[in-house]
Amino acid sequence: MAEVALKLEQLETMMGNVQEDGLAHLATDTVHYNPAELYSWLDNMLTELNPPAASGSKVNNSFFTGGGEYDLKAIPGSAICRRSNQFPVDSSNRVVGTTVTTTTASESTRPLILVDSQDNGVRLVHALMACAEAVQSSNLTLAEALVKQIGFLAVSQAGAMRKVATYFAEALARRIYRLSPPQTQIDHSLSDTLQMHFYMHFYETCPYLKFAHFTANQAILEAFEGKKRVHVIDFSMNQGLQWPALMQALALREGGPPSFRLTGIGPPAADNSDHLHEVGCKLAQLAEAIHVEFEYRGFVANSLADLDASMLELRPSETEAVAVNSVFELHKLLGRPGGIEKVFGVVKQIKPVIFTVVEQESNHNGPVFLDRFTESLHYYSTLFDSLEGAPSSQDKVMSEVYLGKQICNLVACEGPDRVERHETLSQWSNRFGSSGFVPAHLGSNAFKQASTLLALFNRGEGYRVEENNGCLMLSWHTRPLITTSAWKLSAVH
Amino acid sequence: MSKKRIGMVEKSNNKRQRVNLVPEFSINDHHDVLVEILRRLDGPSLCSAACVCRLWSAVARNDSIWEELCFRQVSPRPSLSIRSVVSALGGYRRLYFLCIRPFLARLPKILWSQDQLQLSLSLYCVHYYERIYVGAAPPSSLMFLRMPVNVV
Repeated sequence: MAEVALKLEQLETMMGNVQEDGLAHLATDTVHYNPAELYSWLDNMLTELNPPAASGSKVNNSFFTGGGEYDLKAIPGSAICRRSNQFPVDSSNRVVGTTVTTTTASESTRPLILVDSQDNGVRLVHALMACAEAVQSSNLTLAEALVKQIGFLAVSQAGAMRKVATYFAEALARRIYRLSPPQTQIDHSLSDTLQMHFYMHFYETCPYLKFAHFTANQAILEAFEGKKRVHVIDFSMNQGLQWPALMQALALREGGPPSFRLTGIGPPAADNSDHLHEVGCKLAQLAEAIHVEFEYRGFVANSLADLDASMLELRPSETEAVAVNSVFELHKLLGRPGGIEKVFGVVKQIKPVIFTVVEQESNHNGPVFLDRFTESLHYYSTLFDSLEGAPSSQDKVMSEVYLGKQICNLVACEGPDRVERHETLSQWSNRFGSSGFVPAHLGSNAFKQASTLLALFNRGEGYRVEENNGCLMLSWHTRPLITTSAWKLSAVH
Repeated sequence: MSKKRIGMVEKSNNKRQRVNLVPEFSINDHHDVLVEILRRLDGPSLCSAACVCRLWSAVARNDSIWEELCFRQVSPRPSLSIRSVVSALGGYRRLYFLCIRPFLARLPKILWSQDQLQLSLSLYCVHYYERIYVGAAPPSSLMFLRMPVNVV
């Protein structure tokens, strides 16, 4: 233990030196997990802080008589044992790597070993996973301690990893302290204008929404070929950004534009304004400018499952071709028992020529919290990484806040409040298939257009379009992030 | 206005005769000819031409010149209905500056075809909608097309 004492002494000197850097809280708040690993932990701490050669420093007893968090008894014994089991291979590798030069602890000067933030990055991910596991097993004391550590480790990272870790840490903290506000589709904490701005910035900064809109529009356009009267029912109205491009394509199609009817469905506005009506007015303005006959109806619904086909004023299918569109909305129904089945039933009553669906490509709806956490950590890390190329930092921040809300809901909420229940294409395919839908393949036109669109984005070299069983996936490097698929009713229905 | 110039010619018998010379031609007097010439220029040259003088700048605002530029090398030739849509959305000159020029700058090797033009038109339409929706030109509209340092 003499070596440990010496190391603690050196650490204390250094902590004193870096007081102004704000790392002092590391001196008081750190959690020691396993006495046997204390030596290696101290080694790592010292190398990270790159100390000057420490020689003959005063022993400061306050270090040993410090606050309760140094008291290892505060951490339940089983937690420590479990904790040490969690880094079986990695930590020992790290230990080997960094303690090679410190065989004799009586040295007062230590050779400097530069440890880059990679180690901290690995430590950060491990801390996040450990915290999630602690939360899952309701070990809230440990989880709380870990969340604090995550905060400090996150600061040592740069770029995407820091932001992702911060959002996940905040979401974990909310879960631990049960601070999450009811995260329903209506987020009353933000005003509508602010929400709109986040959405618009997200729309402009990265290609995800544009990809979704353009690929869905292409499928709808092809399905509407030759039809004189068309009707689109949009489950994800938002600001109506998808429809100008479709209306323009319809205006210029061969044979002239059809008569275009749009039914927009969305959640109620926080300030009770008739925001859907406003969107309709603006779209009508556009339609008049480009000479497309336009009709609009807006519906406010807390959940898509509240809809009935009778509300939609459907006209006979001989006169009007209908398309149903849903961009990032269907997954919200999965938390409500019978929700998705009800909506599928309504869609079947509508008898659309095409049902376009865009969803996130990841399984965030597993029964085990830790699995959901792991999947979403990978998913959002990739997503944030792709945002790094955005030229304007303000846009980047807005987009990150937009995504951060999803992370918060995913991690901090449970039951009906947890609406971000993403599922993969294969899971959705099963659902659609067993409900009487068959896939409608998105053609090569959609693929080509999507590829050109992605090439226009600033970091076009990272984005890829992939075709998967007739569906189009947008990937960042090799990781698919969103999928556009199109469905039609099987002949039986 | 062309001025008739009267010149003096020395003849062999030392008499001098008045001769009508060819009237002076100034391109600035013939806007339609100027438009025809400008219509055949490429993008950068057209932009330079528009900076020559106030008259040329005004003439260069003729949308048919920019229409020609946008449709060059696009086959098959797009239908005339496009013209009414584009002029409703703000005209060809705007379309060129907002969408087509950044598009070509970002993807210089791309074969400019009907598909590319349609995509540009869609983006132009979205931009128009964003302007009427937000009220003023939103700062980020079509921002993704602009390169960080655009010296074009």
